[in-house]
Amino acid sequence: MAAPLGIRRQLPHSPWLFAAPGLLVTGAFVLYPFVSTLVNSFTDRRTLVPGRFVGLANYRELLHDDMFWTGLRNSALYILGVVPALVLLPLLLALLVQKNIPGITFFRSAFYTPVVASIVVVGLIWVWLLDERGLVNSLLETIGIGRIGFLSDQWLLLLSAMAVTVWKGLGYYMIIYLAALANVPRELYEAAAVDGAGPVRRFLSVTVPAVRSTMVLVAALSSVAAFKVFSEVYLMAGPSGGPAGEDTTLVMLVQRTGTGLTGRVGYASALSVVVFAVTVALMLLVLRADRREEP
Amino acid sequence: MPMPRRALAAAAVALVLPLSACGSGGDDGGSTDASGKVEGDITFQTWNLRANFKPYFEGLIADFENTYPGTHVKWVDQPAEGYPDKLSADAAGGTLPDVVNVSPDLVAPLARAGLALDLDKAAGKYRSEYLQGAWASHRIPGMKGVYAFPWYLNTGPLFYNKELFRKAGLDPEQPPRTYDELFADALRMAGRSHGKVATLANVPTIEDFGRYGVPLMNGQGTGFAFNDAKGVELLTKYKQLYDAKALDPQALTATGESAGKKFLTGAVAMNPGSALDLGNFKKNAPSLYRNIGITDQITSTGHVNMYVMGVMVNSRTRHTPAAVAFAHFVTDARNQMSFAKKVAIFPSTAGSLDDPYFTKEDGTDETRVRVAAAKSLKNAVNYTPVLFSEQMKTALRNEVAKALQGKESPKEALDNAVGAADRLLQQG
Repeated sequence: MAAPLGIRRQLPHSPWLFAAPGLLVTGAFVLYPFVSTLVNSFTDRRTLVPGRFVGLANYRELLHDDMFWTGLRNSALYILGVVPALVLLPLLLALLVQKNIPGITFFRSAFYTPVVASIVVVGLIWVWLLDERGLVNSLLETIGIGRIGFLSDQWLLLLSAMAVTVWKGLGYYMIIYLAALANVPRELYEAAAVDGAGPVRRFLSVTVPAVRSTMVLVAALSSVAAFKVFSEVYLMAGPSGGPAGEDTTLVMLVQRTGTGLTGRVGYASALSVVVFAVTVALMLLVLRADRREEP
Repeated sequence: MPMPRRALAAAAVALVLPLSACGSGGDDGGSTDASGKVEGDITFQTWNLRANFKPYFEGLIADFENTYPGTHVKWVDQPAEGYPDKLSADAAGGTLPDVVNVSPDLVAPLARAGLALDLDKAAGKYRSEYLQGAWASHRIPGMKGVYAFPWYLNTGPLFYNKELFRKAGLDPEQPPRTYDELFADALRMAGRSHGKVATLANVPTIEDFGRYGVPLMNGQGTGFAFNDAKGVELLTKYKQLYDAKALDPQALTATGESAGKKFLTGAVAMNPGSALDLGNFKKNAPSLYRNIGITDQITSTGHVNMYVMGVMVNSRTRHTPAAVAFAHFVTDARNQMSFAKKVAIFPSTAGSLDDPYFTKEDGTDETRVRVAAAKSLKNAVNYTPVLFSEQMKTALRNEVAKALQGKESPKEALDNAVGAADRLLQQG
């Protein structure tokens, strides 16, 4: 059936009208800041002083900035520590709570609770727990191990922050896996069981291949989040980034360098661009790995 | 159930693009002449004062508006956390209020950006109303002029836990007064408690270097100088404290708040504070309150450190006479005295500290702290260099931490800190 002439004439503009609100918001709050940051990264702009074009000077400077390499190392370590845990543990958790048995909703909600809790509150609770005189150290002392400087040792601090990130993210990724698991045909499990496959074999040969794309998605999401980590480390290591700033992550460095009345906006922008580039590279790596593994 | 690769790529872009965001500024000129008629609408911004002093400021504003008909003051208050960021966002966006509560280190970048009115020129006639040192506290090295009215002054006492002193065999009535006495007492306390009780919870700050007698900047104010032999000596002694656990092991990451908690729980024996803390001790740590000792800040120069608050006038205000008149009104002797009776602060106006309110004790701890602080303020020094930015503080803190951990010698650490601070200073 042909459309009336008037409606047909308006059709070419309609998609743009529908897309306009989204485009405007994206343009104003994503694209413009991105382009602005890119431009600033080639200037020596400070918070209150308009910058001059300095070419690649900011990028050259960051190659010689020890704190940049510290930040890059910590952000990379964060990925190595957090991503495998966040890919695997939520899947196991999802398998645990997948079954419809009485009371399982309680456990699903309990595992999800940290996700909705404020990161500031969570961070402070963990700081109290891991303090030199906190609950964890008191328990360790009681059982004869002695107090451990979770919040004063550079590496333990980073590990503690990773533990908080994993603990807080488990529920979120568990929900994603639950959705994926719901789509795995039961027949596959039944067939595997008939063939004599045990639980581990069924997990490796049925579950993992079935949710592989979801695992890639979780790896991508969690690696980007891990590389951009700020709150956990900031709350646990303090604004200076741990002892001698040794736990500073790249995003913390961007915040510390570029904010305040004397902020070096140009240099912080160059750091942001590097964070962006590394994150894009990470995503491409994950996608490439996914493509290679695809049958 | 393979996930479309395009969807993954789109998710990737959406996730990583917001990584970048930095603002840009605006520009709009105003008059620097404050001699016209006092009228117009102005905005006054305070720094975390609404919660406790709302009636005081509402009364103050009403008084001003009655004194100068035709004026209207809009009062905004910002939280303590992130105040410099709020100021920088307003300054960059051209929305800085007409009259702003600042500290000297905050006014310095604003003045250098031409956003603070030179009060030597615009309000020089009021200079004699203020203590000489207080008026000079908002001078910026390398610039002529004064860029904020001095408002209230403060100098915190040092609290100590008498019980911990007693247990360490120290005389609780003879707390340390100089750094040498402090180091000796701290090492003794750590030794007696087998490292379980530290005396201090914070690493040395730029003010500690000042109170130890280290020159902080060169004579011209063009570079930092706290890496001299005296500075190295101070850091070496702090390293001894750290090794002996006389400095809390978590000092390297401590904040003012976390150090305060350590003191409350008896993990450290001394902590700086203010008269306001007494109420906190009474409520949250009654056993500490019963054993609380109050003494002056540790200093080897004879001068304690004072903190200065100021009130700046935005040079781009459209109502310069009203903004200057209001900033002066807020900081004049009568209103500062009135404010001082509501909270433990001290007026920066000439003669105010001789008022019986600051010289006579009534037997309570509060008046004891107040009278002692007012007395020490008379020859106190604002050690914090106005050009010492947050980034410089972080650089010093990190280098101090490296020295305490033994990763660098105290000399190397201070050389690096001075180098970093000088570079930041040159970058403007």
